[in-house]
Amino acid sequence: MPKRTKLHPESSWVKLETTAADWKRAKPELLKTMLGQLHLIRAFEETVLDLAGEGLVHGPAHSSIGQEGGAVGSIVGLTTTDAINGSHRGHHQFLAKAIGHVTGGELSLPNLVTDEIQTVLQKTLAEILGLAQGYCRGRGGSMHLQWFEAGALGTNAIVGGGVPLASGNAWAQKHSDTNDITVTYFGDGATNIGSVLETLNLAAAWDLPLCFFIENNLYAVSTHVEEVTREHRLSGRGVGFGVPAWRVDGMDPLAVHLAMQEASEYLRQGKGPAVIEAEVYRYFHQNGPYPGSAFGYRDKTEEASWRERDPLLRVANELIALGHLIQDDVDSVREQAVSAMSQAANSLLEADPQHKDKRRIRPELWPDNNFVDVGIRGNASELSERASLEPLKQTSTTETRKFVDVIASVMDRRMDEDERIVVLGEDVHRLNGGTNGATKGLVKRHAGRVLGTPISENAFVGLGGGMALDGRFRPVVEFMYPDFLWVAADQVFNQIGKARHMFGGDNDIPLVLRTKVAMGSGYGSQHLMDPAGIFATSPGWRIVAPSTAADYIGLMNAALTLNDPVLVIEHVDLYQKMEEVPAGNLDYVLPLHQAALRRTGDDATVISYLSMVHHAAEALDQTGLSADLIDLRWLDRASIDWDTIERSIKKTNAVVIVEQGAQGTSYGGWLADEIQRRLFDWLDQPIMRVTGTEASPSISQVLERAAIARTEEVVAALTRLKENMGGGC
Amino acid sequence: MAILIRMPEVLANVTEATIQTWLVAAGDSVAAGTPFAEIETEKAMVELNSEHAGTIETLLIDPGQTVAVGTPIAVVREPGDSDEDVAGVHSSSDAQTPPSSSEPQPETSFKKSKFVTEVTHEESHTSEKSHASEPSSRRFMSPIVRRLAREHNVDLSEVVGTGPAGRIVRRDIDANLSLRGSGNQTSKAAPPSDRMLHTESTRIPLTGMRRAIARRLTESKTTVPHFYLTAHCRVDSLLEIRGKINENAERKISVNDMVVKAVALALQRVPAANAIWGGDHIQSFESSDIAIAVSTEGGLVTPVIRHVETLNLTALSESIADMAARGRAGRLHHHELEGGSFSVSNLGMYGVDEFSAILNPPQSGILAVGAAVEKPIVVDGELTVGRVMTVTLSADHRVVDGAVGAEWLRTFQNLIESPLKLLI
Repeated sequence: MPKRTKLHPESSWVKLETTAADWKRAKPELLKTMLGQLHLIRAFEETVLDLAGEGLVHGPAHSSIGQEGGAVGSIVGLTTTDAINGSHRGHHQFLAKAIGHVTGGELSLPNLVTDEIQTVLQKTLAEILGLAQGYCRGRGGSMHLQWFEAGALGTNAIVGGGVPLASGNAWAQKHSDTNDITVTYFGDGATNIGSVLETLNLAAAWDLPLCFFIENNLYAVSTHVEEVTREHRLSGRGVGFGVPAWRVDGMDPLAVHLAMQEASEYLRQGKGPAVIEAEVYRYFHQNGPYPGSAFGYRDKTEEASWRERDPLLRVANELIALGHLIQDDVDSVREQAVSAMSQAANSLLEADPQHKDKRRIRPELWPDNNFVDVGIRGNASELSERASLEPLKQTSTTETRKFVDVIASVMDRRMDEDERIVVLGEDVHRLNGGTNGATKGLVKRHAGRVLGTPISENAFVGLGGGMALDGRFRPVVEFMYPDFLWVAADQVFNQIGKARHMFGGDNDIPLVLRTKVAMGSGYGSQHLMDPAGIFATSPGWRIVAPSTAADYIGLMNAALTLNDPVLVIEHVDLYQKMEEVPAGNLDYVLPLHQAALRRTGDDATVISYLSMVHHAAEALDQTGLSADLIDLRWLDRASIDWDTIERSIKKTNAVVIVEQGAQGTSYGGWLADEIQRRLFDWLDQPIMRVTGTEASPSISQVLERAAIARTEEVVAALTRLKENMGGGC
Repeated sequence: MAILIRMPEVLANVTEATIQTWLVAAGDSVAAGTPFAEIETEKAMVELNSEHAGTIETLLIDPGQTVAVGTPIAVVREPGDSDEDVAGVHSSSDAQTPPSSSEPQPETSFKKSKFVTEVTHEESHTSEKSHASEPSSRRFMSPIVRRLAREHNVDLSEVVGTGPAGRIVRRDIDANLSLRGSGNQTSKAAPPSDRMLHTESTRIPLTGMRRAIARRLTESKTTVPHFYLTAHCRVDSLLEIRGKINENAERKISVNDMVVKAVALALQRVPAANAIWGGDHIQSFESSDIAIAVSTEGGLVTPVIRHVETLNLTALSESIADMAARGRAGRLHHHELEGGSFSVSNLGMYGVDEFSAILNPPQSGILAVGAAVEKPIVVDGELTVGRVMTVTLSADHRVVDGAVGAEWLRTFQNLIESPLKLLI
């Protein structure tokens, strides 16, 4: 018989309930503040549903009615510098945090609605209606409510999508000598998604002050929690990760508050994350003004039993029972809240002149059409702070260095100068500089700022995103292979790429994502993509792809200066090259819109980037074609050098876009499209493209070579281009 | 079976034409020979006659609309046609297939078929097969070529495409422009500079006819090896006989009528001169079909008088007068503009002593006729005054060698100077 020893989880898991003594012991001001907040939120949500019923809310209105107790109980004890973020159902948390921020944490029930609170209610409602005066200028709406100054980091429409970002905020708090905490709210549906579980692991590994607050309302839209998970006491998730967990009745705001007090004590001591599961109930369906029973997935009896335990009633009754309030006081709170919402709505709406008895949005309050693309990226004015240099043209003294060592050197130089820079990725702290040596020496010289991550790209790039949104740190995230962008796609594209624009255009996201193209290395179908095309067609990102070490210095310095997410693409073929760089100068930037002309000629414009610039040069030498060879350096729509491209094409009338990777995800499609629209009348032949084949490159050396483009493929394209030139040549 | 009428190839190398006026309307009955429409080409306005008897079912083209040769323009319902017959013709008209023409095809359409062959050959080694089966009049050219043509006022119909599938590419238009710059092509003088445009001048848009004259004569002068032979013909006898004829004739015969007759007879007597260049062969003619240059408001037209050798002077004179009048009125039939191996151009009435003319392709000869003027001449060693008409033959050396040309000219001179032969 094998020996068996019973194992116990490292962390505690408790259920917390209030007693009469707890209510008696609670400060009346706390209970009154909670009552005021509950009523303000309830009246707010009722107004939203009314407006939705009038057809005035564009898109879904996810009501939090019934769930207010969880938000109010957990937020009432937080300070402004504590932070929260949340999910698609986030009005209640946002309002609780914003009201806490403008009032300093205490409400006066006889004079419930101060000017500041009235402003919060109106601006929040305006945002939900998509109006210019909203917190995100109408861009965010109901599901993307952000007020950074109040510690409301932004709610999120991707289930679990906000959780990795919250961990980045917690990381920044922890490493800024504060004992502030971050609370990330999500529902029962999100407890089974990778973002949440990966982040729970990462936050625990790194002892981050992050509270995972589960609002368990039993239904993911119409699917009951017991249908989709075995351990439906969802706080149980914490135990597996060594994270202490509390289970609490969310219809009892005081219980939630007490649980949060216990958890935040643990969090503020720097011991690591905590999980709180609040059992709540949304009275209505997923969205809109009808109860869930109307859709048949639950019954009216169940709904009635939860409504009997309504948090507003509970707190009011306890306050009356304790003699702190009489019913008239409670009625007055309700009236004040309803009246404030009526005033907020009236300032945004007017009678619809075309439909009797209907209201409409006051037309002047809509955002300007021209605002549609404003703030996808920042204005890059920060780049002018640094000296720019065309490295090998404007430098007399150069030295010869290995490309990959230059990467480590420029990182080291910037980390010396800018303490905000933090490097994170898989194995970046070991193996003498990560898997390729690009972070060599950094871990010794910058202790605590080179972080080896768990293999959870979605969590750690999202953590980087949260750090960048916060702004106290400047993360440099490494993806060991570019194909991992699919693993982390939500954080990379839905969150990091869209955040600035979605939250109104002002929130800087200074994040650098490094990755390497490894075509030719035999890593096969799932490691060998070129990510440029995917990033170029996604909003928000800037992209650099240096073909030389000297350019790498200037482009990485630009990336580490910009307040936008920047993808820095490297190539394994370049790492071991010995290259000339300006001697002793690691400080210059290569600004936006500055491509390099590597060759000049009359008959063709060859556009390329990264290692394919060298292959294109070889191909030009072999064919003897007289061509401009443009090394793009900057690849994204906002940063590309149109002046150089246009000047060249107007001269040559023929274009080849040269890249290495698979057709489908290739980069040149959008560029060819843009060129034919801008320069149609200057073209003498179709825009040609060099890419790999449709297949992702295989492990087999022969098939890998066949799948990708190198010099031979460029030669073939140039030969065709020559034929297209006519004249019998 | 209903008949689909297509835009005829009115002249060789004409790729499009305009319906100027419909002379019939849907529902009208037509007999064979009924004038059907007036068609304007770059060369002339001609009448199109119906070849069939029937009822006009549909007119497919609006007046003023320019369409490619071969495009269906009308449907004629023949007696006994069912609706299905007509519908069948309609659906085939959608296919816009090339002309299996209802009009007689000029023999000189060989150039067109050669073009088709070339395109097909080009296509065979490119992947762009889709155009190979459409010998349409559409010419492919790159965007930069369109831009440059616009900027430099280049007529792209004169530019040969050397790109894939015959696409006109930058190099082709560059070659054209550099030729123009070096002055090698007379018709392609550089466009007026800005400075010139600021002086008192007017920019006159080209008419189709003007463009055709420019194109055809440029082609002729630059690609056909001309040589010139001149003779001074004494015409005292000819003028005397003409005077006698005209004394009693209802219709006055002109010197030009007699010249045309002499040309026709000379061609009969020197048949080697009655032939044209066919690219890979020589086309020889039996009859003397002579084109007469007629000056009109819009430019030159050259109607052809058939079998001149068989016409007496009166009939010939009537024929020339009719052609000239209808040419000036834009009322010539297109077949009247086709064919012929020889032209006569007479500028004598303008007082021109002598000149040489450019061949009217694909003809191989043109006689430039000056005025009959009194000149001192030597007869039997004595100086006297005689009426002399100077004529210059321009000949296509590919067809007509110098000796043949000289023999023809001597024959012509002999006929003119012995004018009774013209009356036999």
